[in-house]
Amino acid sequence: MTTDELEQLLARQPMALLHRLARGRVHRHFRAGKRRLIELLLQYSSTNRAGLESDLQALLEVRQPRQDPGGRPKHAPPPGTRKQLPAQAPIPAVMEPAISLAGWLEGIGVPAPQPFVPDPWQIEALSAVSETDVVISVPTGSGKTYVAVEAARRAMEDNRTVIYTSPLKALSNTKYTEFSRLFGSDKVGILTGDRQENGQAPLLIMTTEILRNLLYDAASGEIDVRLDTLGLVILDESQYLADPERGVVWEETIIFCPSQARLLLLSASIGNPQDIADWLTSIRPTACRLVRHSKRTVPLRAGYLHPNGKLTPLFRTLGIPYGHPNQLHPEAKRLFLEYEEETLPSGRPRR
Amino acid sequence: MPPSIHPVDLITALRHKHLTPAIVFLTSRRACDEAMEAFDHADAVLPPVRQEAIGAALERVITQYPSIAEHPLIPIVQRIGVAAHHAGHLPSWKIAIEELMRQGHLDAVFATTTLAAGVDFPARTVVITQSSIRKSRDFTDLTIGEVQQIAGRAGRRGKDHVGFAVITPSPYIELNVLTKGLTGQPEAIDSQFTISYPMVLNLLKAHPHEHIQGILAKSFAQFQLNQRAELIERKLDLVQTQLEPFGPRVCTDWITQWQTFDQVRKRHPARHQTHRSESPEIAARLPFLTPGRVVGLTKGRGIVLRQYRSKGQKNSMLTMLRADGAVTECPVTSVREVYDRTYDCAEIPSYPWCSTESFDRLSEQLEDLPPRLPILPILTAPSVEPLPDAVVQSLGDFPCPTCSSRPACHKDFPTASRLRQEQHRHTKSIQALRTSLWHRFQERVDVLQTFGYLTSTAQLTADGEWARLIRIDHSLLITELIRAEAFTGADPSLLAGIMASLAHDDDRPGAFPRISPGLSSLLRQVRKLAESLSPHEDPPLLRADVAALAERWIAEPTLTWIGLCRLTTMAEGDIYRLLARTIEFLSQVQTLKATHPGLADSAAEALALIRRGVLEELP
Repeated sequence: MTTDELEQLLARQPMALLHRLARGRVHRHFRAGKRRLIELLLQYSSTNRAGLESDLQALLEVRQPRQDPGGRPKHAPPPGTRKQLPAQAPIPAVMEPAISLAGWLEGIGVPAPQPFVPDPWQIEALSAVSETDVVISVPTGSGKTYVAVEAARRAMEDNRTVIYTSPLKALSNTKYTEFSRLFGSDKVGILTGDRQENGQAPLLIMTTEILRNLLYDAASGEIDVRLDTLGLVILDESQYLADPERGVVWEETIIFCPSQARLLLLSASIGNPQDIADWLTSIRPTACRLVRHSKRTVPLRAGYLHPNGKLTPLFRTLGIPYGHPNQLHPEAKRLFLEYEEETLPSGRPRR
Repeated sequence: MPPSIHPVDLITALRHKHLTPAIVFLTSRRACDEAMEAFDHADAVLPPVRQEAIGAALERVITQYPSIAEHPLIPIVQRIGVAAHHAGHLPSWKIAIEELMRQGHLDAVFATTTLAAGVDFPARTVVITQSSIRKSRDFTDLTIGEVQQIAGRAGRRGKDHVGFAVITPSPYIELNVLTKGLTGQPEAIDSQFTISYPMVLNLLKAHPHEHIQGILAKSFAQFQLNQRAELIERKLDLVQTQLEPFGPRVCTDWITQWQTFDQVRKRHPARHQTHRSESPEIAARLPFLTPGRVVGLTKGRGIVLRQYRSKGQKNSMLTMLRADGAVTECPVTSVREVYDRTYDCAEIPSYPWCSTESFDRLSEQLEDLPPRLPILPILTAPSVEPLPDAVVQSLGDFPCPTCSSRPACHKDFPTASRLRQEQHRHTKSIQALRTSLWHRFQERVDVLQTFGYLTSTAQLTADGEWARLIRIDHSLLITELIRAEAFTGADPSLLAGIMASLAHDDDRPGAFPRISPGLSSLLRQVRKLAESLSPHEDPPLLRADVAALAERWIAEPTLTWIGLCRLTTMAEGDIYRLLARTIEFLSQVQTLKATHPGLADSAAEALALIRRGVLEELP
């Protein structure tokens, strides 16, 4: 029981109980008013907390049956489950109670299969990409790939070449397999530093470095015919723009991207997508559209697992309290402090 | 309590709460492997039905990638339903694990954070055990974007109602980094534009020199620099409005005028000069002669107890603790040497100027001093030079002393000069922001001109024409090597070895016992050249062991993958990546067919030899 909880519990008890509790603990307790008495009891509790709590518990157990004469089933809390008491207490008005573990775990499971319905932002992005360059900044796992696939399909139906780039060879390979399954293997080609297959296909998957090299070759006169029919360039994981070593490649690619091709930048959540969109607007023939949202498709909950195997919610609230990093769950906070105390060499401040 | 939860307990806890499948992010590859080892004798086995399902799924992947059939982790994967997935594994293994995860066969994957940025494989739960990651050589805190990228793997669309991010503490954790990461706004990204040599060559090939500035201006780097410049411009405007009341007076540029006048006036010898009794050498010593300092005197040594000024003395005085506990007074001039040695000395305001205990301790320490002590080097401040006569005489030339606006100038000068300095600073930084990219480009152009890739009019020379095709890291070193004909007549295996050592930028240790004399001498040559180029390009690691590894792989076509892995302590995945990067570098060399047919042939030969076994099977 934390001191706050104890205080609240005491505040709910009648004076008679408080006086009985104070007997032998607080000098001249009969002179004190309620508030002062609670204060004195709490002061005393700093020396013998366990004794106070157990006496309080005993007094409460005696009182409990008398308090509920009828209606609700009477039950004295079985010994050993003292911790449940505060949970029964009415909610203090100032702050909502911290979520319980059971509540936190509620709703685990597999949703019933339902037909895929594109999200509004996906539809917005798709309609925008047929007209102009688009920057998409949405959380991981929101369904950026759907937009890429649909945009690629539409461009290919117009007999335009589509280039899809990703930062890693492994990702390119995954996408190659995925897109081959979707569009048929004759429609999809791959160009990476060490692999070249079906280079004349209408949908080309490559690493961004390869596209940059293609664009350089085209600029210096060794024209690649396909660049004339290039309709759409999809740059996946565009947040790599900020990569210290490779970010420059994304910039070069965007600068030299032919003006007739549309650019589709897919990025995880970043802080300044508007800047990227403004930049594209400033260097490209058409104004760039920004599609962003920060709501996850599958909601996220955060938990804390103590090394002894105890699981608690990490935050007071069910979801993530965006903008309030300090709303920790009291239990998680307590466990972590305990952990730090036990694992850190004492007397030395962390770091 | 253990410093972190045991992997078996972790999986049991997650299973118990129906939080599987989960991705467990661990600090290092080793942590992932150790977690797998922990399951060796664990009884957290899966029901037989699921074991069979995993077996069947593995079977299917193995037919596609035979190289993983013998993988040592397979029994655990099948029995427990957990797997490790990190950069030390072969891509085929990683693909297999991803496939199993996607099909929902596995309960947990132990991975390093590189996974978060890489492949797309979500789970119901992610377990975070760290708040920092290894970036180049040291650990840095995870950024908000990175935490969200990791947490983003939790919750599969269409398969989960909710995703869970579970934090479990380990010695590497700082909770508030993670809570901030989960609840915060991701950071803004900044341009990392750098200008490389191939970029300069390719730009100049396609565009005339005078257009380049316009092209660089199109970069996101310039966009962000302009944003900053605009901010400063706004500040500059403000400063300029503040400067308005300080416009021209009797002289147009009264601020400069007053400034020079003021300086000259201040330095005029007529002004009172402070007379110092100590010579500069002695004065420089004073700050070091603090209580507890060991000094050498004309006779013997002593420890300073206090420093004081006495009325009758010209110089500062010292109270010294001498041998046998004697306390003496002496002027600072009698100090011969100041030693680089001080002892703790608890000062008190009366004789003997330090507490009894420290007095005893100091006396002992004085006895125990070694015969030779390092001397403290003390720099003497140069004495202020007198003003040259010319300036002094010209003081009379200033109109200021009799000027009508002298009081106003005198009053306004501090504000006005501060504002004007700000104005200058802002103007300068705006100029720097607007032109910095161009200057960096010009620097590169200058280097390329001195090496002869560009003519003095910034046209590509014959060498520049082919050098622009090498668009990889360390391009200047590679093109210089080619020009120095380092590879002429070299074996494909030697070429591949050098390319491997150029391509490998990881400093994880690996051991390789033998290196052929040919490769070793060639590598020495490359290293020498890399050193001479270091002012212009960061030298690569040029590790001999990876060079030897690549050389062996090509020189011995009968060498199997397992055999190659046994030769070194490098992880399989690292060897694979090394050879894949080598392929990339060799393909770049291969593009020089037109100008360097011999070299290109040799590269092609090496490429043909390198692509076998695991490297051929993989996507």
